[in-house]
Formats: sequence, C-alpha cells, structure tokens
Amino acid sequence: MGVVILLVMAAGVAAMLSRKLPTAFALVLLAVVIAFVAGAPLTGKDSVLDTVLQEGAPALAATMIAILLGSWLGKLLEETGIAGTLVRKIVEFGGDRPVFVALGVLAVSALVGTVTGSAPAAMLAGLIGIPAMIAVGIPKVTAAGTILMGIAVGIPFELPVWQFFSTALELPVDTVRGFMVKLFPFALVAAVAYVLVESRRRGVEHTWSLKSVQDKPAAPSRRKLLGDAPWYALLTPAVPLILALGFELAIIPSLLAGVLYALVTTTRPRDMNRRLLRTLYGGFEVAAPPITLFVAIGILLAAVKLPGAVDALEPLVKAVSPQNPILFVLVFTVLVPLCLYRGPLNAFGLGAGIAGVLIATGIYPAAAVLGMATSYNQVFGVADPTSTQTVWSAQYAGVSPQQVMVRTLPYVWVVALGGLCVTAASYL
Amino acid sequence: MSADHDLDLAVRLLAGTPTHEGRDPLTLRQWAIAAEEFGSRMTPEETPVRVVERDDGLAAGLLARYRSRPPVVELYVDTVARAEQLVVERGWRHWYPEGSVRAAALAHEQAHAWLHHAHVRAEFKRALGHTALRLGRRRVYAHVAGADELAAHAYARAACGLGRSPLLLTEALAAVAYPESEK
Repeated sequence: MGVVILLVMAAGVAAMLSRKLPTAFALVLLAVVIAFVAGAPLTGKDSVLDTVLQEGAPALAATMIAILLGSWLGKLLEETGIAGTLVRKIVEFGGDRPVFVALGVLAVSALVGTVTGSAPAAMLAGLIGIPAMIAVGIPKVTAAGTILMGIAVGIPFELPVWQFFSTALELPVDTVRGFMVKLFPFALVAAVAYVLVESRRRGVEHTWSLKSVQDKPAAPSRRKLLGDAPWYALLTPAVPLILALGFELAIIPSLLAGVLYALVTTTRPRDMNRRLLRTLYGGFEVAAPPITLFVAIGILLAAVKLPGAVDALEPLVKAVSPQNPILFVLVFTVLVPLCLYRGPLNAFGLGAGIAGVLIATGIYPAAAVLGMATSYNQVFGVADPTSTQTVWSAQYAGVSPQQVMVRTLPYVWVVALGGLCVTAASYL
Repeated sequence: MSADHDLDLAVRLLAGTPTHEGRDPLTLRQWAIAAEEFGSRMTPEETPVRVVERDDGLAAGLLARYRSRPPVVELYVDTVARAEQLVVERGWRHWYPEGSVRAAALAHEQAHAWLHHAHVRAEFKRALGHTALRLGRRRVYAHVAGADELAAHAYARAACGLGRSPLLLTEALAAVAYPESEK
C-alpha cells in the first residue's frame, strides 16, 4: 500500500510539473486519494471528510493570518513610499559605485523579505530596485538575482514562515527561531558573495537602448508628490523583527506593531482609517495565492498523518532514509534540485507532505525535518524558475527565470549544505 | 527650437528613470542641462576596446552595449543600419553625417567607460550639484540616476559633430521599432 501512496505522490508531482493542475488543487486531490488508499473511512474519526478536509483545511490558520498581516504591511510599505525611499536613498548615496547599490538593494530586499515573502517582496524591492541597479550598470541577470538573494537573506526571519514551520511540524516557535538564527549567516554570506563575485565576474554594462526615451513617464500621483517617507518610517521593516527576535513577542502582535508603526510614522490622523482599510483589502489580494496553498498543505498534512498512511509508508521511508549524519548531509545535499520546478522536496508543495511523513513515522526528530525543509526552502525561494518571485524578478529585469536559476543555484546550494550540516550536528 | 526639443527628450529620459518618480520637472531640467554640459566637454582617454558586431538589436531594442569585463562594445548593426536609413528618410543627413551613427555608438560607450573612473564620477556629481546629505558646511553630493546616459549622449554628439542629440535618433528609432506603444 505504501508503494501505491508513493506512486500517487509521483503522479501528483507530474501533474504539478506539467502544469496540468495548479499546485493547490493537485495537493488537495493528492490528499484525498492518499486518504482513500490508506483505508480511511468517509466520515468519523481519521476519515476523509472530517479529518482530512474539515480539520486539515484550517490547520495552518495561524500561518494564514501571519501571511495576511505580512501582506498588509507590505502594502503599507508600498503605499507610504517606505520601500521606494529606501532604494532611492541607496542610489543617491552610492549610485556611482554599482556594487554599493547592489549591496544596498540586497539589504532592502532582505528587510522586506522578513515582512512578506514571495512575489510581493520581490515587487516591493524590485519595482524600483531592479531598474535602478540596471541604470547604474549592474547586468540584468545579476540585478534580478540580487533581489532574490536578498529576499532569501530575509527568509530566516520571515515571521509567517516561522509560523508555518511551527504549525506544520508541530514545533514550538522557539525551536524554529533557534534554527533560523543558525541558518541566517549562511544565507547572508552567500548573498553578499553573490553580489561581490558576480559583480567582479560580469563587471558593469551600459546600453544605448531604444526604450530609454520611448516610455513616457506617467503623471505622478498626489502620493508620490508628497515626497520621501521620513527617515524614522524607514525603520518599519525592522520593527516586527526586533519585537519577535529581540523581545520574543508572538508573531501576530509583532506584525501588527509593524503595521501600526508604518501608519503613525507616515500618515496624518484623519487619513489613517482610510489608509488602513485600503491597504488591508489590498493585502487580502496579495495574500490570496499563499493562503490557498496553505489550505491545501494543511489538508495534505492531515492525510499523510492518518494512521493507515503512516503504517504503510514507515517501512519504505525508513529503508531509504540515511541515519548516519554524514550520509544524511551528503544524500540530502545531492537531492537539493528536487525542490526545484515544484519538485517533491519543495516545502510549499509535496515537500510539506514528505516532512509530515518523516515526522509521523518517527524516522527523524521534528527539529531535523525542520532543518531539512528550511534548507531546501532557501534554494526554492531563490532559484526555482516556477516560483512567483523568481519569475517576476527575471521577467521584470528582462531575462529568463532559467538564466537566474543557473546563476544563483550554486550559491543557494551551498546555503542548503550549510543548513544540512547544522541540522546533522544539532539534531542527529 | 531644436535645442529645446533635445532638452525635452533629455528631461523625459530622466523622468522615466527609476528613483525620479514625482521629481520637480524644473529640477530634472537643471540636471539635464548640467549633464549635457558635462558630457559635451568630457575628454575620455582612448582605451583599446574590442568591438563585436551583432544583428539582433531591433528585436532587443538596443543600438549598442558596453561591458566592462572583459571590456567590449557590442554594436547592433541592424539597428545602426536602420538608423542610417531613417536619417535619409527624415532628411536629417545634415545633422547626422554618413557613418556617424556607428561612430556615435562607439563614442557613447567610450563615455560610459570613462564615467566609471573615480575622479570623473566625483567631478560629475559636483557638476550636477544634487545634495544627498549636508552636515554644516560639509556636503555629500548625490548620484543622479540616468544623468550618465545624458552625459554619454552629449559626449557622442560633441565628439562626432552631430547637429542634434542622439536622443532624437533614439526617439525616431523607437517610434519605428515600437509603433503600437507610441499611440
């Protein structure tokens, strides 16, 4: 029966890879089929309808709220001009040194990456950051990669991600935070190395472009004419981080504090209500795709944790899972590409289900699975040519996502290796 | 009149450059004038640069590209040929002599390379006069995104003895290459 479940999972991956089904729909379908194959009844205890669909769908509710708040804060960063001001200041201070600008945009991307991940973060930093980098001579692929590597520096401190791994792997937030702090230096060193090495290798480039005078700038909106956000408002992305990391405040109040700080530092009292509502509703739109995915992941996790599924998968997974720490690092480092192209190790896809299996069958401690999943997430978040932030950044810079993958993969692969080494040393 | 149009094009280029959203048009005009003046009096050193000819410029929307490592200028010959043809069609030969588009492209990229020298950068920022930070009498000059492009065009115009800015030619080429977006 375990083999049948693995075959069903493989079919699910094929459906996602071939784009026959959107990831979220494929995961729900997969969950229902796995539940039936595992012998779950239709209703009642450990059943398809009550356990998998009813209890699974809201299982990651806290993550969904955190995602929504992050998106709300992201909308505020955009509307109040905080993200744009950060990039503009960097270009003004260091625009004649392209490497300085790239490092500055990397830092801004990391900051917004801690608030909101995926495409919204790429847009926040990249809408001005990518053309600004290209204008000072950074090659297009390097510019797109800089945004993505920057977001990846922020991922270890992205509060909705903490919430996701905490709920999905049933680990306390403290444990997730502890590992993320260890993962961060690898992400940071790789990102800075990317900018320095790629800048050195590729140098600068300038074009005589036909498009330079073709695009007539749009008339500036009243908001844009109000000018830069005040300097103290630029600290907004750091507020939730300081509260959650420094004061160990819970994730949702930390994000709410960020929303309030952005509001009071940029908005006149009479405009506050309107701005709050407008950005909140805008946040819902941004958060819709990841929330849909988290509903599906919750359902899949509920399915793979059914007793029938655990009993069927345990002997199979045990047989192929390395227990020796060195072998663990080697095998899972070699398997890194399996998290690309919506592959089976993608933590925001079938990888969440596999992580659930590894924990439910007791093959690895939950903290070790956290180490694996977060290490793979660093790769997926940057290099996967099907992930929304990679597609958006590459296309906005005028290159293909595959070009960005080829250039960034070596760096993030090393990050994954580092994360797996820490995992093996700490938890195996 | 023609000088005014060239300046309008320069201001439009700056206004369309990221980080200048919502900038006062008068400020952009002052920067454009300063950048063009600086570019037209630049005296870049002759450095050996490999020139590579390519023929996919119209599709990519490019006339030339400079890469610093290794130093190479890519010249998009299809765009250059189309530009020369356009000069004839529009009756602009007195502004852009035969072969001047290629020469302007090479000069433009030579100017970009020159603008990466530290002392040139510092001098250029002083000429633009945009302040990033002021501490008492001390002043940190700011980089103005897009100004180097104007300086490079101005240098190309001066070095090749063009009657009008290369920006006019760029605008005409863009209108031919992307007729839909001009509507």
